[in-house]
Amino acid sequence: MEKEPEKIIELINVKKVYRMGNEKIYAVDDVSFDIKKGEFCCLLGTSGSGKSTLLNLMAGIEKATSGKIIIKGKNIPKMNENSLAKFRQRYLGFVFQAYNLINSMTAIENVEFPLVFKRVRPKKRKKLAKEMLIKVGLESRLAHKPKEMSGGQQQRVGIARAFVAKPEIVFADEPTGNLDTRTTIEVMELIKQMARDNNQTIVMVTHDRSLAAYADKIIHILDGKIQSIEVTERNKQEDMQEHLKEVSRQLLLDRGGDVTAAEAESAATETPKPPEENATDI
Amino acid sequence: MRISDLLKLAFRNLLRRKARTALTVIGVVIGTISIVVMVSIGIGVNQSFDEMIMQSGSMTIIRVQKYGSIYDDDGNYIGSKEQVLDDSVVEQIKGVAHVKAVTPIIRKYVSLYSGKYQNGVTLYAMNSEVFDAFEFPPLQYGSYPTKENPSAVVLSPQSMQYFYYYSGRNFDEKSVDPLTEKVTFKFQEYQTHPRKKEFELALTDVAMMEETDNWEYSYNIYMDIEYFREIWAKYANTLKLEDRKKAISSIETYEEIRINVDNINNVSKVQDDIKALGYATYSEMQYLEPLKETSRILQMVLGAIGSIAMIVSAINIANTMVMSIYERTKEIGIMKVLGCLVRDVKRQFLLEAGLIGLLGGIVGIIISYVLSHLINTYGSGIMGSIVGTETTGALSVIPFWLPFAAAAFGMLVGLLSGYFPARRATRIRAIEAMKTEG
Repeated sequence: MEKEPEKIIELINVKKVYRMGNEKIYAVDDVSFDIKKGEFCCLLGTSGSGKSTLLNLMAGIEKATSGKIIIKGKNIPKMNENSLAKFRQRYLGFVFQAYNLINSMTAIENVEFPLVFKRVRPKKRKKLAKEMLIKVGLESRLAHKPKEMSGGQQQRVGIARAFVAKPEIVFADEPTGNLDTRTTIEVMELIKQMARDNNQTIVMVTHDRSLAAYADKIIHILDGKIQSIEVTERNKQEDMQEHLKEVSRQLLLDRGGDVTAAEAESAATETPKPPEENATDI
Repeated sequence: MRISDLLKLAFRNLLRRKARTALTVIGVVIGTISIVVMVSIGIGVNQSFDEMIMQSGSMTIIRVQKYGSIYDDDGNYIGSKEQVLDDSVVEQIKGVAHVKAVTPIIRKYVSLYSGKYQNGVTLYAMNSEVFDAFEFPPLQYGSYPTKENPSAVVLSPQSMQYFYYYSGRNFDEKSVDPLTEKVTFKFQEYQTHPRKKEFELALTDVAMMEETDNWEYSYNIYMDIEYFREIWAKYANTLKLEDRKKAISSIETYEEIRINVDNINNVSKVQDDIKALGYATYSEMQYLEPLKETSRILQMVLGAIGSIAMIVSAINIANTMVMSIYERTKEIGIMKVLGCLVRDVKRQFLLEAGLIGLLGGIVGIIISYVLSHLINTYGSGIMGSIVGTETTGALSVIPFWLPFAAAAFGMLVGLLSGYFPARRATRIRAIEAMKTEG
């Protein structure tokens, strides 16, 4: 990466103020930073620090009180609901903590859903969704409803849904918040893998410091303000593999897990799709 | 979203809560049935009235009679007056706007004889030019009298039936065929001069009308008025002197002046105009008007009953949709985050409500047809006693447009009652998807 990658997301003096009676609460207080194309950015902070609000502001789910949020050259707070919806169709993917799958739909239908809004023809979107589910290792779960799957599997469906339309940016709000350690590693590596394959930008919100190790850029947030920005420079692919292994190992150690198991996990990530057996909590 | 996807999603959502959807649809079914059946009964009764009137004469005909009935403003009979109807009156009436044809009519009771059998009928003498204008029925044989050939006598089918044996001990009835059997007729009004031969006319040039529902063309016989005057003069010559004068003066005025109006909607107007000339009139329309009014009110009452059921079902649909939106708040939030347009959210809910309406409408129509059939089969007596008339036709008539109108109406009700819930759905914010619970 000799050339400086373009800024895909740029925040300039963004504020979000809530009114609670006469009191003003600054959920996001004068935040400025930027994220480059292909970067894995982590918004790290404790609960109530305003990190989720910041993500919602970027995704246009909430409106900033002031400041500019420029994504792909568009100022998000100034867009109306309709163009925001179209913008999301085209550029954004979402992974949620609670998966947010539609319970009445099967895995493949859930993954298809964003393509339905994009008016993709049924045949084509079935094919895309199926490919995506195979990629996340759920080939045998295509026709299962969310309630029939484990948390890890549900989140993988969620990831497939987020990536199926090949969005340039994927927002992930505590994507592993409901998962155990082993599944967390799987899911994180899956996200990382996916993003790297298509040079997609990831913006992840988490309170888990060890997860932040996956990121290229870590933005520490406290009380709605940026405390510090850590940038890890890693450009070479080989480094990446090594790094992932190390991170996973560290993660397990931190949580008092079994290191040998972690090594088995990280070995598995070298193949592009994690094998089915790794779905731990079926 | 594609229409096909919207439809698929709508069906899927409706099927998710089968019992609730079914109950809501049943509400619409009941609403549709009540409207369709009520309207069909209204139409059926209306048609029965029409048929009844059609049997007693043409709608556009106005009669000015020698003994004219006088009615008050509400159409109640309050008495009668004798009016002098002569050619000057005919001319006056010809000047009234919208009058298509006018003819004076001389009415005489005559006896028909065939061998030893006889039959009493009423003879109408009228202008031969206006048979067409008065829409006389087609003929089985012969032709209507014309100026060139005025001597034709037009018979009605039943005037040739019921000939009875006048000197027989038993009441013996038979039909006569005027083409093969000799038929003569005699006037009965005055006594013949003792030294003269009784006037008698053989019917040689006859025409026969086809069978119709209209009693006028079933029993009476018709003749050209000029030809009538000729034979009346001959008849008068056979009478006693004092009767002869009476007879001749009796045809100087007419029993009736009959008017045909160009359009059924102008009948009341022409009637008023003739009334303004000072003559009492009579038309079938004046009886039809209050009957129509009655059936209109009946239709309105029945329609109102149906509408109430429909309004209830509309409220029901709205309630179902509101419930559904509450249940799916998070889902709508997710859809919005995934890039679903506001328009599509709205469409989806409208479509669901519309489908409930349409489905209910269609099922309702099918059941309505069954009910309509049952009413026509078993309900005739009951309704007859309510309406107070003998109804001959079907009681419940579903015209071809009614099912379409009902289905469209059902769907419209669905859409209308789905509109506000749908708008509410669009206001659900994407942030709902981010809330972790659920």
